[in-house]
Amino acid sequence: MAYSEKVIDHYENPRNVGSLDKNDPQVATGMVGAPACGDVMKLQLKITEEGIIEDAKFKTYGCGSAIASSSLVTEWVKGKSIDEAAGIKNTDIAEELALPPVKIHCSILAEDAIKAAIEDYRSKRGE
Amino acid sequence: MNYFEIFGLEQTFIIDLNALTQRYQSIQKSVHPDKFAHASSQEQLLAAKKSTLVNDAYQTLKNPLKRAQYMLEIRGVDMPNEQASFSDNAFLMRQMELREMLADVKFADDVDTALFEANQVLDTEFQQLFNTMQAAINENSVESNQQATELLRKLKFYQKLQVELDRLEDQLLDD
Repeated sequence: MAYSEKVIDHYENPRNVGSLDKNDPQVATGMVGAPACGDVMKLQLKITEEGIIEDAKFKTYGCGSAIASSSLVTEWVKGKSIDEAAGIKNTDIAEELALPPVKIHCSILAEDAIKAAIEDYRSKRGE
Repeated sequence: MNYFEIFGLEQTFIIDLNALTQRYQSIQKSVHPDKFAHASSQEQLLAAKKSTLVNDAYQTLKNPLKRAQYMLEIRGVDMPNEQASFSDNAFLMRQMELREMLADVKFADDVDTALFEANQVLDTEFQQLFNTMQAAINENSVESNQQATELLRKLKFYQKLQVELDRLEDQLLDD
C-alpha cells in the first residue's frame, strides 16, 4: 500500500518525539492502544495555568500511519487551549494525511490519545 | 452447524488437534473439485462453498486465540470493536516498556543473549495471560466470559510483540 507524501514526511521526520516528566503536575499523559494491530501510542501535553498547551511530545510504536497521526497531532495541539485540542476530530487527521480507509483507525487512536491526555490532566487537577 | 460440530468435536477449549486435522483432511477430500468434475454446476458450487466453510472452520479452531474468540462469539458474548482503542494504562505502560526492550536489543553487547532474554520475557507474560484466559473460558459464566474477552485483547498485543521480535531476530541474525 502506498503512503501519502505527508505520511512519509511525518514518518521520516517525526515532530516532537520524546517524553515529558509524567510527574510534573503540568504534564498530562494519554496512553492508548489498538488490539487489532498492536499499536501503542503515548501522547504527553504540557499545559499552562491558563489551560494552554505549550508543549507536546509523543512516542508511538506502530505503523507509519500511526506514527504520522501522532506526530501531526503534536504539531496541531501546540498553542491550542484544552477545549480546542479536545475538538480535533479523527476525520481532520485522516484528511490531512490522506489516510486510506484501512488506516482510519490510526487517526482514531490519535484522537483518543488527545482525549486520554486531557482526561489525565483533569483528574490530576481533581476536576 | 457451528465449527465444532462440523468436525464432530466437543465445544471445549482444549481440543484434540490430531483429530481436528484428520477430520479436516477427510472432509476436504470429499468435496475436492476433482470429484465434482462431471457434476452439475450447482453441485460444484455447493462443494466449493463447503470447502471454504470447512477451511475457515479449521483455521479458526487450530489457532488457540482464534478458537477462544470463536467460542466467546458463539456464547453470544459482546465483542468490543476490533478497531476500538484500548486504555488500560498500566497494561499499555508495560507494552511501551516491552517495545523499548525490543528496540534496545540491537544495541546490546551480546545480541544473542538479549534476544533470548526478550523471548523469555514475552513468553512468560503471554503464558500467564493465556492461562488466566483459558481458565476464564472454561468457567463460562457471564463475568468470566467478559474477563476472557478482555484478556484476549491483551493477548493480541503480545502476539504483535512476538511478530516484531521474530522480525528483529531475522534482521540481526542475517548480519
